[in-house]
Amino acid sequence: MTVRTRLLSLAILVAVAALCATAALGSRTATPKRGGSVTIARIEDSQSFDKTTVFQNESIWLAEQIMEPLYTVTPDGKNVKPWLATSYKVSNGGKTYTFKLRPGVKFSNGKTMTSADVKFSIDDARAQSKGWGYLDAAIKNITAPNPSTVVFNLKFTWAPFLADIALFANGIIPNKFNGETRANFYKHPVGTGPFMWDKRVVGQSVTFKRNPFYWQKGKPYLDSVTWKFVTDENTRELQLRGNQIQVDEFPPFNSIQKLQNTPGVTMTLFPSTRTDYLDMNQKYPPLADRHVRRAISHAIDRQAIIKSVLFGHGKPANSFLPPQVPFYNPNSGGLQYDIAKAKAEMAQSKYPKGFKVALLVGAGAQVEAAMGQILQSSLKQLGIDVTFNQKDTSTEFQDIQKQNYQLAFSYWTMDIADPDELVTFAVDIKGGGAHSFYTEYNNPTVVNLSHQAQRETNVAKRAQLYNKLQQIAAGDAFLGFLYYSPFRYAYSSKLHGFFVYPLGNYHLEDAWLG
Amino acid sequence: MSLTGYVARRLLHLVPVVLGVTILCFFLIHLVPGDPARTILGNQATDQRVALLRHEWGLDRPLPVQYGKFMDRVAHGDLGTSLFYNVPAGNLVLQRLPVTLWLICYGAILSVLIAVPLAVIAATRRDRLGDHAIRVVPLVGLGFPSFWIGIMLLLVFGLHLGRPFPVGGYGEGFFGHLHSMFLPALTVALAISPILIRSLRAAMLEVLDSEYITTARSKGLPERRVLTKHALRNAAGSTVSVLGVNIGFLVGGTLVIEQVFAVPGIGQLMINSIFQRDFPVVQGVTLVFGILVVLVYLATDVLHSLLDPRVRFD
Repeated sequence: MTVRTRLLSLAILVAVAALCATAALGSRTATPKRGGSVTIARIEDSQSFDKTTVFQNESIWLAEQIMEPLYTVTPDGKNVKPWLATSYKVSNGGKTYTFKLRPGVKFSNGKTMTSADVKFSIDDARAQSKGWGYLDAAIKNITAPNPSTVVFNLKFTWAPFLADIALFANGIIPNKFNGETRANFYKHPVGTGPFMWDKRVVGQSVTFKRNPFYWQKGKPYLDSVTWKFVTDENTRELQLRGNQIQVDEFPPFNSIQKLQNTPGVTMTLFPSTRTDYLDMNQKYPPLADRHVRRAISHAIDRQAIIKSVLFGHGKPANSFLPPQVPFYNPNSGGLQYDIAKAKAEMAQSKYPKGFKVALLVGAGAQVEAAMGQILQSSLKQLGIDVTFNQKDTSTEFQDIQKQNYQLAFSYWTMDIADPDELVTFAVDIKGGGAHSFYTEYNNPTVVNLSHQAQRETNVAKRAQLYNKLQQIAAGDAFLGFLYYSPFRYAYSSKLHGFFVYPLGNYHLEDAWLG
Repeated sequence: MSLTGYVARRLLHLVPVVLGVTILCFFLIHLVPGDPARTILGNQATDQRVALLRHEWGLDRPLPVQYGKFMDRVAHGDLGTSLFYNVPAGNLVLQRLPVTLWLICYGAILSVLIAVPLAVIAATRRDRLGDHAIRVVPLVGLGFPSFWIGIMLLLVFGLHLGRPFPVGGYGEGFFGHLHSMFLPALTVALAISPILIRSLRAAMLEVLDSEYITTARSKGLPERRVLTKHALRNAAGSTVSVLGVNIGFLVGGTLVIEQVFAVPGIGQLMINSIFQRDFPVVQGVTLVFGILVVLVYLATDVLHSLLDPRVRFD
């Protein structure tokens, strides 16, 4: 190559780089435009908008557009930031939190939000025994000394308190349901969020329109947002390409590459807190053997699963906590694929020659069937004979919860920016209410560590506790940690500012159509 | 027996049919494993919360007691409250019913519009190229599953060729429905037409060989009149029965088409409700299906008798 050719190539490279940088900067700094409507198509319809009792994500993510909490989760999913409150002070040895409310916040009906609304909202949320009330169990009482101050008195120091306050269930609504009954209020809820209720056709669609009193001046940019229930994934994709919808929620993994190359479509994989597991029910004697569980965990070919099921769009899980959760420890020693180690563990177990085990699989659930086949093939090398027990998804779910299974697949997504919710559910056999993720895992040291971490407000010490907890739990292999996968959204390239948080929610006040 | 008496008697038959449907449906759906409380509570389904919800819904009572309550409500025109949506199940069913009826009627009309001319052409060009083509080509269409045909129609007419039709949906207003539901209805029609064509062609051939057709022709009647007035009308009877049976089948079988075209019909509601174990909605939809099937068969018999006076009401 001559000097002249080299110079020419360098000049072209610099020009291309400059163009790319300008384009990237341009898209980031483009001025948002006001107006337009967006339709989001998803596989499930919303069940209810009673934020205090609903457990379905497709309801929760919508309710959050209307009802907002005092603090909200940061974009990385690991912390909280001020939202309807501007600050807080801790006193009384960590047992009293005093919040200052953001001035000038109004509900979509034009009424100003006061501390009375906050007190009512959270008192109501924590009273819901069949809902999310259990997450507010640390609260002793709430007082409202003046319209802009709210005081929370706790029964004991509670490290996850701020994360719990940021839970959607603790979103603020008007005092006494704005004069309505609870049931009627939640048919068309009122809040301080960027959008307000417009209409709903049950089983088909939900539409919210702009809240004219929204406290973030100039936002939201969109006039309205509609969520449509479109069960067929092919139809959702065709509707996106035909511009009948602007967002396709959760396109299948095998469509990702195609959508990434589709003109006019942006395909984004947002980091999520979703973690998939292999549940091992210790009520089945072979699975109560720690060596057997370790052998199975070592025999899971996670890369093969990620390649065949997620089409490469995932990472092997190495802890029962996902990376988007505070105190996740990537070096907790989560067992990885190693058939030699798996055989060594089996040799040390009470079942060196193997045993028969039934794997519960959802009928028609292709992902589970594919993972089951990979697992079946690996475990065969250990002498473990896996048979499939196919049930429809509803029955499968019930069987897992009633511990009427031996091996099964399950997953988790976080609702708060704190590990406590998942840790309690997964390892606290009595306190979690779920028999340790339905596995009957019971390690008193781990349970004790989780209790200590709940009360430890020193961040560094709390991190140490969770590190230790993750290490012991990984060594016990109480669950087979499978993989971490992203939230998948395909949307119109004209839609900007659309961002999905690791907890799965999104702030549509920032979205706009270009 | 007069037509009115016949219809009244057939309508009376609805009572035992409906009773049978409610008993079967109620006990079958409750015997199937799966708990609506656990489905709704998801991962947060602790035993305590499940028990609270089941008590609230009355699912902790003995099955015969629950059935008694259900029948008491049905007698008062109330199908109960959807466990998933917490709205009256009857409203959900009635809201979806017109959509499915639209799809079935539109599909039936299109299938007749496709099948009748093709069957007449095939019968009048017996064993010639046109006849063979009409007999074979639609059968190829019958061999493909409805969801595949639906997706192909969406790709071709929803995304390409100037996008004359929307990619799914029900549309707004009469003309909106007519426009939006064309592709789903065409998918229905393409599934039924081959059967209708074969049935009508065979009937036409039989009629065209009969003596009264020879007489009509020898009287100098124009061929068009012979075909429409004498041959087609007499051949249509058996085809109406075939169409009726297929429509009866479609009442419960539009699910795939509704899913592919995102049509919010009763089939889609049924499947979702089964997965959610939303007992009141499943019971309500099944009840409506049962009544509809009986009514479709009744309408078929009445139409058959009107087309062919030899058919008597007894």
